[in-house]
Amino acid sequence: MKLLARLPERWSNAPLAIVGAVALLLLAGIGVIIQNEAAYRELQAQQIRVQAEILSASVTAALDFGDSAAAQEAVDAIRVNREIRTVGVYSGNNALVAGYGRDGAAPPQNQRGPYLGVGSAVTSTVPVLSRGEAIGSVYLAADPEPLSRRLSRYVVIALMVSLASLVVAVLGLTQNTLRRVNRQLAERADALARMNEELKVQVSERTKAEDQLRQAHKMQALGQLTGGIAHDFNNLLTVIQGSADMLRRPELKDDKRLRFAEAIVQASSRAAALTGQLLAFARRQPLRPEVIDVNALVEGMTDLLDRTLGERISVRTDLADGVCTVEADRAQLESAILNIAVNARDAMPEGGILTISTSSHLDPEIGLCVAIAITDNGSGMDDDTLARAIEPFFTTKATGKGTGLGLSQVYGFATQSGGDVRIESAVGDGTRVFLLLPCSALSGGIEPSRGSALELPKRTGRILLVEDNEEVGEFAENLLVELGHQVARAKSGEEALRLAEADRFDMVFSDVVMPGISGLQLAERLSETQPDLPVVLTTGYSDEINKSGTGGRTVVLKPYGLETLAAAIDQALPK
Amino acid sequence: MASAPASLRAQPTEQAVKAAFIPKFARYVEWPAAAMPGPRQPLVLCVIGRDPFGQLLDRAASSETIGGRSVTLRRLPSADGGEGCHFAFVQGATGADTTRYLLALRNQPILTITDGRAGPQRGMIHFTISSGRVRFFIDEATAAQRGLVISSRLLALALGVRQRRS
Repeated sequence: MKLLARLPERWSNAPLAIVGAVALLLLAGIGVIIQNEAAYRELQAQQIRVQAEILSASVTAALDFGDSAAAQEAVDAIRVNREIRTVGVYSGNNALVAGYGRDGAAPPQNQRGPYLGVGSAVTSTVPVLSRGEAIGSVYLAADPEPLSRRLSRYVVIALMVSLASLVVAVLGLTQNTLRRVNRQLAERADALARMNEELKVQVSERTKAEDQLRQAHKMQALGQLTGGIAHDFNNLLTVIQGSADMLRRPELKDDKRLRFAEAIVQASSRAAALTGQLLAFARRQPLRPEVIDVNALVEGMTDLLDRTLGERISVRTDLADGVCTVEADRAQLESAILNIAVNARDAMPEGGILTISTSSHLDPEIGLCVAIAITDNGSGMDDDTLARAIEPFFTTKATGKGTGLGLSQVYGFATQSGGDVRIESAVGDGTRVFLLLPCSALSGGIEPSRGSALELPKRTGRILLVEDNEEVGEFAENLLVELGHQVARAKSGEEALRLAEADRFDMVFSDVVMPGISGLQLAERLSETQPDLPVVLTTGYSDEINKSGTGGRTVVLKPYGLETLAAAIDQALPK
Repeated sequence: MASAPASLRAQPTEQAVKAAFIPKFARYVEWPAAAMPGPRQPLVLCVIGRDPFGQLLDRAASSETIGGRSVTLRRLPSADGGEGCHFAFVQGATGADTTRYLLALRNQPILTITDGRAGPQRGMIHFTISSGRVRFFIDEATAAQRGLVISSRLLALALGVRQRRS
C-alpha cells in the first residue's frame, strides 16, 4: 500500500519538470531557427530584388532599341548565379524579350503569366525605367536556399539546444536517483527502528522468562532446603522428644536421667548450629570477631575432629610457625573447618588421611593472610561439580543426608571476614580446600577461658524482661528465676517504658524485634531517662543490629543457653 | 508609348526601325553644359541633306520625351545652320556631299548619325545591317573630342566601338 501511494509522487514531480524544461529549451531553439529563417528569407528576397534592379538597369538600352540579343547577354550574365531559377525580360507591351529557365522553369511569353514551377521560389518583378519612363519589366525567381545548407546553418543551434536539454535531463535524472536513494535510506532506517523495537520486545520477554526461570530455581532450591532442614530438624526433634518422654518416667535412675538430658542439650545445640549455618548462608549472621591464633585453634579441634570423622579417617596437622593472627568469629571458623572436614570424610568412604595445614600467604586480592589448607585423598570432584561446589543447596549427597549448605557457610563466613575460599580438585586425586583469612592488625591471641557449665555467677538483681513471644518469655523468665533474679515481664516496648517509670530495676533484658517500639528504640528512650540502667539485648535475627548497631550494648544471640545468659547478665549488672 | 520599339515578330521596315532608333539615341548621350538647352527647351534633331524617313521620323520624334524635354525635328538641305542642332542624321546626295556636311559640323557638339546604305562615310553613330537586323557602330573617340559622353549601355548594344584614347 505504501509503495502504491508513493508511485504517483515518484513519477509526478521531477520527470515532469525535466520534460517541461527540455520542451521549453526545444521551443526556444525552434523559435530562434524560425526567426532566423524569416530574416534570411527577407534578406534573400532583398538580394533577388537588387539583382532584378541591376538586370533592369542593364537591359534598358537593349529594350529601348529592341536588341533582344543584348538583353539575352545581360540575362546570361546572371545565369552564373545557380540560385536563379527563372529570368524574364519583358518589353513595354509585356512580350518576352529575353529569358532563361533552369530545370524547365521557363518564363512565360507574356509578362502577365502564367508562371510555372515557381513553387517555393523567391520572386521579384521590377520595372525597366528609361529616363523616368517604364519601358518594360524584369522578372526574377530564385530557389530558396537548399534544405541541407539551411540545416547545416541550424546544426549549431540544434546542437546547443540538445546539449542544454541533455544537461537538464541528466541533472533531473540525477536528482531523481538521489531522491530515490534517500527514500530507500529512510525506509531502511524505518526497518531498523522496527527491528530495534522487536529486539526490545524480545529482550523484555527474555528477561521475563529469565525471571520466571529464576523464580522456579528459587522455588526448587527452597524445596530442597526445606526438605533437608525438615529432615535434620525432625531427627533432632525425635531425639529431644524421646529424651523428654523418658525423663517424665518417675522410676528412672539418676545416671540415665542425666544421659537423656545430655542428649537433649546436644540435639538442641546441633539444631542451633543448623540455624546458624542458614543465617551464615544468608549472611545475616552477626559475627563476633575476636583475635584468634589459628594454629592454637586447629590444635584444639583435633580431638573433636577425631571423634566426628570416625576411626577410619586419620587426622594430621602441618602447622607453620609464625603465622599471623586473624580477626574472626571463633565459632564460625570452627564450624567452617568442621564443615570442610565432614565433606572430606564423605569423599573418603573407605577411609583415608585428612591433613590440616597452615601457612602465611600473600594474596593479590586480600593481601597478607593465613591460608588454612584442608586436604583429603578421596574421590575428588569433576569440573562440573567443582564449579557448583559453593552454590547454596547444591549437594551430591542423597536427599536428607545433607543440606547443601556446608561449603556455602564456609564461603559466606570467609567473605564476611574479608577472606576467600579456593578449591583444587580432580577426580580420583583428592580435594584441597584453602580457607584464606586476612591477618589482623592486632597481635596476640587471647584464649578465652572456658568455664564449666556448673560454675554459674552468684550475683543477682531486679530484672525487667521484655519479650513479645509468650513461649520464649516464659522460658526466659524461668531461666532468670532459676539464676536467682527477681523478674518483671513486659509484653511490648510501651509496657516496658511504663513499668520502668513506675518501678526501679537493676537492668533490662529485651528482645530486639517487636511490634511497636523495638528493643533498640526502648534502649535509647531508657538511656535518656535512666542513663545508669544497663540494657542487654537479645535477637535471633540481626538485620536491625547490623543496620543501626547496638550503641555498645551487650547482645545475647538466640538460641541461648543458661550458661550464655548467666554470663551476659552477670557482666551487665552494676558492680 | 505610341512609337513602340521594334518588335521582333512585327517585322517593321528597315527605315521604320532606324526612324524609331534615332530620337532614342538622345537618351544615352550627355551634351556639354554649354550646348544644353535651358529647362523646358526642346532638343533639336536635324536631318541634313536627303531625308529617307519622311513621316516615320516625325512620328518618332514627336512621341519622344527626354528628361522632360521634347524633340524638335528640323530638316536642313545642307550643313548651313546646323549649329543649332543637338543631334543630326547626315546623308548627302553623294558620298562626297556627306563627307562635306560632316566636316562642316566637325567643330560643333553635335551627335552625328549616318547610314551604311548611303555610303562608307561615318558619323559618330553609323547604321548597318547585320544578320537581317538594324545595328550600329559608335565612334566614341570623335564624340569625346566634341565633348559628348555616350552611355555605356548604348555602347554595349553597338556592333563595334571606336574607343577614345583615355
